[in-house]
Amino acid sequence: MDGNALIKIEHLTKIFDSDDKSVSAISNLNLTIEEGEFITLLGPSGCGKTTILRLIAGLEIPSEGIIYERGEKVEGPGPNRGMVFQEFALFPWRTVIKNIEFGLEIQGMPKEKRREIAMHYIDLVNLEGFENAHPNELSGGMKQRVGIARALANEPDVLLMDEPFGSLDAQTRNIMQRELLGIWQKTNKTIVFVTHSVDEALYLSDRVVVLTSRPATIKKEISIDLLRPRDRAGKEFAKLRHEILGEVEEEVTKAIASERKKEES
Amino acid sequence: MNKKASKAQKNRTFFLSFFKVKKNRDRLIHLGISILAVIIFILAWDLYAQLQNKPYLPRPHMVFDALIASFFNRDPFSQRYMGEHILASMVRILYGFIIAFILAVPLGLLMGWSKHVHNAGNPIVELIRPIPPIAWIPFAIVFFDEPFDTAFIVFLGIFFPVLINTIFGVKRIDPIIIDAAKTLGVTKRNMLQKVIFPAVIPTLMTGIRIGLGIGWMCIVAAEMVGVTGGGVGFYISAMADVGRYDDMFAGMIVIGILGFITVGGASYIERRVSRWMGMR
Repeated sequence: MDGNALIKIEHLTKIFDSDDKSVSAISNLNLTIEEGEFITLLGPSGCGKTTILRLIAGLEIPSEGIIYERGEKVEGPGPNRGMVFQEFALFPWRTVIKNIEFGLEIQGMPKEKRREIAMHYIDLVNLEGFENAHPNELSGGMKQRVGIARALANEPDVLLMDEPFGSLDAQTRNIMQRELLGIWQKTNKTIVFVTHSVDEALYLSDRVVVLTSRPATIKKEISIDLLRPRDRAGKEFAKLRHEILGEVEEEVTKAIASERKKEES
Repeated sequence: MNKKASKAQKNRTFFLSFFKVKKNRDRLIHLGISILAVIIFILAWDLYAQLQNKPYLPRPHMVFDALIASFFNRDPFSQRYMGEHILASMVRILYGFIIAFILAVPLGLLMGWSKHVHNAGNPIVELIRPIPPIAWIPFAIVFFDEPFDTAFIVFLGIFFPVLINTIFGVKRIDPIIIDAAKTLGVTKRNMLQKVIFPAVIPTLMTGIRIGLGIGWMCIVAAEMVGVTGGGVGFYISAMADVGRYDDMFAGMIVIGILGFITVGGASYIERRVSRWMGMR
């Protein structure tokens, strides 16, 4: 990989301090994310992968280490790093189109212009006809389409996706994955995707970063060179799945063992 | 795109009409039960009043006559029609409500959003809140001029429910929505206006509804203690003083109906707004 580094994470450590204990979520993590890349952070539940994403977004502050975006230090959330949440996090009082326009409205863009941009993204995520629906009238899959369009409308450098399809049913998830790849190819965005599903990581990514159980650090990086669209039932796919699954399971076992140890003590 | 939308619309109206038939029937049954209960209540009242046969418990039809008459005859104390008394009371409630709203909403937003403001404001609020608004009447009469003396009592009654509900509404906002807003470029300055305030509207409306109910209780108490310029509370206490109990009860019923209409209206608006905002 010798493209342009969009995001550079150096010696990232995050410790959460509460009154009676401190939890080490991330420990000395180094990672470079290239421009236009689709990269997935894969790891067991509770390993701190969401925290990494929140740190890149600027929603959390590193305990140690620095995150750079285009050479500039990340010091807080900003519209150049869009985020898509597992819980959708839509504004329930806003219609679909007004959710998508939100970021542009904040920037002070005139109404006509932001409507036009929002309509473009409504088109992109296949939400035509639902412009004036409220989020509570939409299915989970449609809600997440709004979430993706809302993040994209700001034209961010990078799309940070935190288990975006985690709460969808299996069929919807597959459809959304396929459409996300289409969106990625059309927009040339850099995508940092977080999931605990090996299958999802393999289907989507250029590169899969397997994380260790807490505190998270990089266990293994695997480039996926399979052509898209990928055949989930294919031989090579199965081979890679087997390999990655082994890595992840090792960490899950470790996590369970350490939980047990904690309970015993 | 339009074709698709109109088809979806058609499907929706079809389903809605199907449910509407059942819904209307249910509604009719509910209404029937309510009306029946009111009739039974009035009959029981009538029976009890006849058995007791005391001047201070008039029979329903006497109260009803007095109620009708009060709208067409001036009262002997202030030479006013019931309509004027109602207007006087409503103006006071309106003043109290507006002032309470203007003060409680921004304060509630700030107290819900900022820990420092909450720590500063909370002890004062919690000390004043348990004092019944009625306990302020002597002070209000000396300190304010009509109609602000009574409006002040109403203000106290409405202020706290609106304030508490606004604070609660802010605290109840899902933090993930705040995070989403931040990643979309919202700064500290416009967070309150663009996210916190709209998110809080349904809870705030609940506060208004509760506040208006308390407002009617406060106004009557305040008017009964002493007021110039009429008012339904004044009417009740004046009629009681001269032993015209049927007129007294008529005034009480007026308050009941006005409170019912106000709170019912507020609750209707609350539901409509929540639905219109897509939040319930």
